[in-house]
Amino acid sequence: MWKIIVRRILIMIPQIFLLSILVFLMAKAMPGDALSGMLDPNIDPAAIDAMREKLGLNDPWYIQYWDWITKAIQGDFGQSFRFKMPVSELIGQRLMNTLWLAIVTLILTYLIAIPLGITSGRYNDSWLDRLITGYTYIGFAAPLFIFALLMVWVFGFHFHWFPTSGSVSPGEVPGTLSHFWSKFYHLLLPALSMALIATVGTVQYLRNEIIDTKQKDFILTARAKGASESRVYNRHILRNSLLPIAAFFGYEITGLIGGTVFVESIFSYPGMGMLFLSSITIRDFSVVTALVLLYGVAAIVGALLSDIILSIVDPRIRIK
Amino acid sequence: MRKPIRSKALLVSLMFVMLFALAACGSKNNNGAAESTAAPSASAPAETAKATAAPDAEDGLYNIKDFSNIKTNQGEAIDGGTITFGLVSDSPFEGTLNLNFYSGAPDAEVLNWFDEGLLTWDKDYVYTNDGAATYEVAEDGRTFTFTIRDNVNWQDGKPVTAEDWLFAHEVIGNPKYDGPRYGSDFTNIEGMEEYHSGKAKTISGIKVLGEKKLQITYLKSSPSLLTGGIWIYPLAKHIFGGMDVAKISSSPEVRQKPIGFGAFKVESIVPGESVVFVKNEDYWRGAPKLDKVILKVINPTTVVQELKSGGVDLVDAFPIDQFPDNAKMSNVEYLGAVDRAYTYIGFKLGKWDAEKKVVATDPKAKMADVNLRKAMWAAVDNDTVGKKFYSGLRWNATTLIPPSHPEFHDASNPGVPFDPEAAKKILDDAGYKLNGEFRTNPDGSELKINFISMTGSDIAEPLAQYYVQSWKAIGLNVTLEMVEFNTFYDRVGQNGEDDPSVDVYQGAWTVGIDVDPTGLYGKDAIFNFPRYSSAENDRLLTEGVSEAAFDVNKRKEIYKEWQQFMVNEIPVFPTLYRAALVPVNNRILNYGIGDGTGLYYNDIAVSADKSAVAQ
Repeated sequence: MWKIIVRRILIMIPQIFLLSILVFLMAKAMPGDALSGMLDPNIDPAAIDAMREKLGLNDPWYIQYWDWITKAIQGDFGQSFRFKMPVSELIGQRLMNTLWLAIVTLILTYLIAIPLGITSGRYNDSWLDRLITGYTYIGFAAPLFIFALLMVWVFGFHFHWFPTSGSVSPGEVPGTLSHFWSKFYHLLLPALSMALIATVGTVQYLRNEIIDTKQKDFILTARAKGASESRVYNRHILRNSLLPIAAFFGYEITGLIGGTVFVESIFSYPGMGMLFLSSITIRDFSVVTALVLLYGVAAIVGALLSDIILSIVDPRIRIK
Repeated sequence: MRKPIRSKALLVSLMFVMLFALAACGSKNNNGAAESTAAPSASAPAETAKATAAPDAEDGLYNIKDFSNIKTNQGEAIDGGTITFGLVSDSPFEGTLNLNFYSGAPDAEVLNWFDEGLLTWDKDYVYTNDGAATYEVAEDGRTFTFTIRDNVNWQDGKPVTAEDWLFAHEVIGNPKYDGPRYGSDFTNIEGMEEYHSGKAKTISGIKVLGEKKLQITYLKSSPSLLTGGIWIYPLAKHIFGGMDVAKISSSPEVRQKPIGFGAFKVESIVPGESVVFVKNEDYWRGAPKLDKVILKVINPTTVVQELKSGGVDLVDAFPIDQFPDNAKMSNVEYLGAVDRAYTYIGFKLGKWDAEKKVVATDPKAKMADVNLRKAMWAAVDNDTVGKKFYSGLRWNATTLIPPSHPEFHDASNPGVPFDPEAAKKILDDAGYKLNGEFRTNPDGSELKINFISMTGSDIAEPLAQYYVQSWKAIGLNVTLEMVEFNTFYDRVGQNGEDDPSVDVYQGAWTVGIDVDPTGLYGKDAIFNFPRYSSAENDRLLTEGVSEAAFDVNKRKEIYKEWQQFMVNEIPVFPTLYRAALVPVNNRILNYGIGDGTGLYYNDIAVSADKSAVAQ
């Protein structure tokens, strides 16, 4: 077990290294740079050139890459051109918002998905199952950006139940309970919007697994031994059906760290997705490269996590 | 209201505008300060009882002339009150909260509440003596003596001094300065270049004459000095004096606990999303009427709902494409002003000579024949474009000085009016013969014109297609290519490397408060994208900023001549002028947009405790 993990981590190093080169080259291949959007006839082009020189934008790519990677290894991703602050600090600020949003979304997703999936699978082809499956179809069909807008409109503007923008009420003092509550209150609606859509895949997955497992031989055996219906479901079917869902857990986390551009921009929620998009638009390279690298690492780690979880819950998968 | 003045005016004299607000891409709608229109209600007294939400429109068309730039007061002011200001943006504000360092327009909207410049200006953008400092110009026209008022203090109680003003110049002139402000405003100060290059320890042209008295000597005297050519933002030396210049912009004194000498003080900041301001009792114009202002970032997609529900009272800008559907919103009044910007179509007439740093006009360029350019102007119906695409809130442009500068805009100049028959005749007369569907060059060779335009909003492409079809209608073979913002300006030549395959392009400019167009059309301006130059053009542009031009009438005459000259020569032709609209909640009193309104942030008051809600 430990061997596998160590081996996987060792493989990660060249993966991340390769990723960093790709990321860097792609960023450089984009037309324009951070200075091209702020052209202003008041500023002498020579001054802009001097600034480019100072930022090292005129050096060949391998020199720029070397400068960047040697610092990045030490945790210094440079300075954001637009925000005029260290990239790591900037990402740290946003990462916390995104992380909280992700965690709440994840919890809500499973809170909704597991009971619905179980009900739907256990009583398949009943009217309740049809209702749930109907919901999943609608969920698959509804684009998140429309759905989230609808949620803001109904619960934010119409009923005034939830705040409609930001991550915390203006003026709250960090560290206090009301600050914490305000943060939670602000991310509840976006998290719910995301969870209601994200959950549909899991519901269907769970439903299919349960229906599949129901017909397996060992279930017949259990029934034949006279196990009660609830025991059959809780101990035998559910355990086996949850396997693939547990395996997906790692990937889910990866996906959520990326943040979602739609939800963040609709709720004006300052997270990673928005930072990523706006940094690309204005060619704030240091932020873009750091973020892509972070996403890449998150994806690799997420895959690793999934494998580990899987091997814990399912002994058959463990490689000797 | 002094509001948007600083945002772009002084600092960004001329700036790229994305042709249309890029829907998903972090751009804010252009919200430049604009001049007050001569709307009849602009001077209407407060008792004009009930204001309607917006002027009525026939056929769904609107006219900027029907909008006032000053809010009609409804009701009596109550004591105190809290308002919410919406910063309309699809990305968080950057948080560089110092006038000497910031670069993003959203930051400017935050800054305006707690800081200001030492000088103010009137509606013609000329510095006045009503601000926190007064000025005198010496006989030579280039030595200015400034006196800061005695009661102007930083929000920590320390006085704003001449030293602070000098310190701002020293920091911006420091080679380690990482903001975007070191430009012609600074190089025009005596001794600044020596200081910047490290040859001198001090700036010889700036002298502190007393605690509150400063003297600055400029190298060149020009009327542009009085319209935004002076750096008017001091930097608190008692706070930043000991700091490394390269570190100031990321310091907590800029990002978390910024101070200024404006009407409100920053109480708390949630980075990127909201700021709470409380009133500054010590404000030099007198304590503000409001107790508190909450600023929060709101997304352009939800701005209408926020306004309707009273979630925000004021916004810095409003997406104009949402206006026609919401013109009747009952709890707001729309203020309007002419935006300091224009859209235009440019013709590539040469290249940029990187060695000599001048434009190299090529008399053999594909678009070199003025008849061809004139026909292309006459072939497009911009009036209809404005009505069909923008409900009349953008309209046919005639000259290269927009009506946001009413003193200098020549309203009597019709430009080249829409007349496709005349366009065809011009081409016929000039020898562009029809050969099948399209015309050829006078020498019989094939004429194929490449046109590039920017992607962005939903209507970017239909609009560009309209131009292509209009040109096809007079027999010109124009092919369109839609490109993204950065690529667009790369190919047009922002780095001096013009793409030779581009013949015609559609761009837009936000213009500065100073009317001088040299930065866009001068011979040595890299932003002279058409690469047009001529002796007559040079003469007019030079005269426009000469000492003789200190006489406003003389200057008007010069620019009137220049506008006509550009209509004759057509290196570019303007297509649309634009309006900026801002909805304001009915309970807000004493508010206006644009320059020289005489209303300041400390005047804003409310007539009710709660925001009005739409019915």
